[in-house]
Amino acid sequence: MSLSAFPGFPGFPAFPAHGSAPPSDPAATPTPAESAAYITSLGKPTAAEVLDRCRARGRVAIQPRCGVGGHEEMKALLATLEAEAAPDILTLTIDSHTRLLRFEEALRTLNLRPADLNGYPMVAHGWRRGRELNELIEAPLEIRHGSPDARILFDVSVASGITSFEGGGISYNLPYSKAVPLAESLGAWQDVDRRCGELAEHGVVIDRELFGTLTAVLVPPSISLAISVLEAVLAARAGVRCISVAYPQGGHLAQDVAALRSIPVLAERYLPAGVTVHAVLHEFMGVFPRQRDNAEDLIFYGALVARLGGASKLITKTHQEAYGIPDTAANVEGLRLADRANSPLLDFITVDDDQVQREMTWILDEVADLVEPLLERADLIEAIIEAFAEGRLDIPFSASRYARSDLIPRRDPSGAIRYLSTGELPFSSAHVRRNTELLHAVDGPDPALDALMRGLTGDINHFRHVFQEEEPATPAPRSAPRPVSAARTPPTEEPI
Amino acid sequence: MRITSHQEPTARTVILGVAASDSHAVANHLIAYSLRGLGFDVVNLGTCTPVEEFAEACVRHPDAEAVVIGSLNGHIHEDLRGLDRAKQSGRITCPVIVGGNLSVGSHKGGTSHDRLYAAGVDHILSDPAELPGLLDALRAERAGAAANRTGLAAS
Repeated sequence: MSLSAFPGFPGFPAFPAHGSAPPSDPAATPTPAESAAYITSLGKPTAAEVLDRCRARGRVAIQPRCGVGGHEEMKALLATLEAEAAPDILTLTIDSHTRLLRFEEALRTLNLRPADLNGYPMVAHGWRRGRELNELIEAPLEIRHGSPDARILFDVSVASGITSFEGGGISYNLPYSKAVPLAESLGAWQDVDRRCGELAEHGVVIDRELFGTLTAVLVPPSISLAISVLEAVLAARAGVRCISVAYPQGGHLAQDVAALRSIPVLAERYLPAGVTVHAVLHEFMGVFPRQRDNAEDLIFYGALVARLGGASKLITKTHQEAYGIPDTAANVEGLRLADRANSPLLDFITVDDDQVQREMTWILDEVADLVEPLLERADLIEAIIEAFAEGRLDIPFSASRYARSDLIPRRDPSGAIRYLSTGELPFSSAHVRRNTELLHAVDGPDPALDALMRGLTGDINHFRHVFQEEEPATPAPRSAPRPVSAARTPPTEEPI
Repeated sequence: MRITSHQEPTARTVILGVAASDSHAVANHLIAYSLRGLGFDVVNLGTCTPVEEFAEACVRHPDAEAVVIGSLNGHIHEDLRGLDRAKQSGRITCPVIVGGNLSVGSHKGGTSHDRLYAAGVDHILSDPAELPGLLDALRAERAGAAANRTGLAAS
């Protein structure tokens, strides 16, 4: 799909844009062969190569989230992050207009008020400026966004020499869009994955990272990993050679380490040989502590989880997470802090292997219950769409009406994320019983709605409770409704 | 395929959603889960639902007992613009219940509620646990009204 095929695009060249390079002619996006030749000629390692190299050295690669609207501002941000924190991979987080194919709005905002954009409008800037960014820094770049249909963004990104691209037909739809049918997003992402296959034939392997973080609110590990397995199988069948399975830190050490260690086992089980799979940890994506010390404790703890879980890469947070988009200095500090967990001095830190093994067995069994009936089907996309419609696949707290959200997660007394309700998930009775037993001590057999809401809000605010950060006192006159506010969804891939 | 003549009576239907500018999904899904557990057929329109979409759902589900709208971001007054017209035009005929965190700031009082009533809201809930009781009371009220009408017709 070329840009010129996009019907809403004719206004593009009429707007002079800020920045040093002229906007690229949208009709002239390089072909995959030309983009592959450019990437090869750069002599710069691809994201896939960096991940392989880090894994071989036993190092967890470190990567920030970062994206601003203006081109010069984006250049300055990348240059500063590289100079001061030297992350292994850098990021371009894309603005919301571009995520939703509103390229004209993105361009208009870029020209009028670039600071209003919550990310870098890659398509509006065009691939020539993308190359400028890429050539400015040594680290490879990844595109992080949230688009149900990312085909145009992908072509512009690859033409810019960018070798890692996040998303998937399920994971970039259900948490972000209310009414995009799964058939549309899965179809669009199949095109992206096929394009990766085409590029691989030209000698360039694109790292395709799957967004297992989903809604970022109490995501049970087996749901995150089952959805990543399905997206990974579709990607591999379409020709993708390097897949990063991202898992969100839930907050329970053994469960998180078990989830990360499950990723190579799942790859072995469900993916063809010849596909490289990396485990990626997203530092805690939920409600963050407000106080700087506490936030930094959680950042370092996340980095240790990534180390213990054998992750190839860690996506970092900052001590300003509770307050919004971090400034550059906080981003640098978050990267440097996370990287301390790579220290050779920390080999003495271990985890209870029996407990991890038990959690792994549970996770792998639950994932098998979810994915195996679907993988047997001739048409996997059709099977996935049917399963979501019937609740055999589901995610908690979906933004989309195409997932039923009949499943309700809770933390057990140790803080691990369990299923209070499994909805229509095809779990064996033993799995359902185990979850029920683990949660029985929390709520009793049949909690009332108000108790459930209070409990779940507490689970969501887990780390604020751990650090004993009190909620700001809200005077509650008798007539006032009780705030049942909880985490906001959809999550912001970039803290926007 | 819910109703055939010799099956049980239709499940009680409730239309649920979060106000137009509000993307808080957690409470919404918990209320849907809880009402389904009580046997309700919940038409959950989810987050960011404009008044127009509630009205369309009412037209599609004329048997709905209530429209339940949650709002947690303090923008309920703007988000409900058009509700009075949707009721006047007969597209929303069932009671409209609103709950959540209904205005910006920590002082919430009668004026805010009066404005909501004027905008077409029938009931304001401060605690989601009160919802099942309110739905039962509304049904009893309606059944009473229907019995009265029948009584009049028979006399």
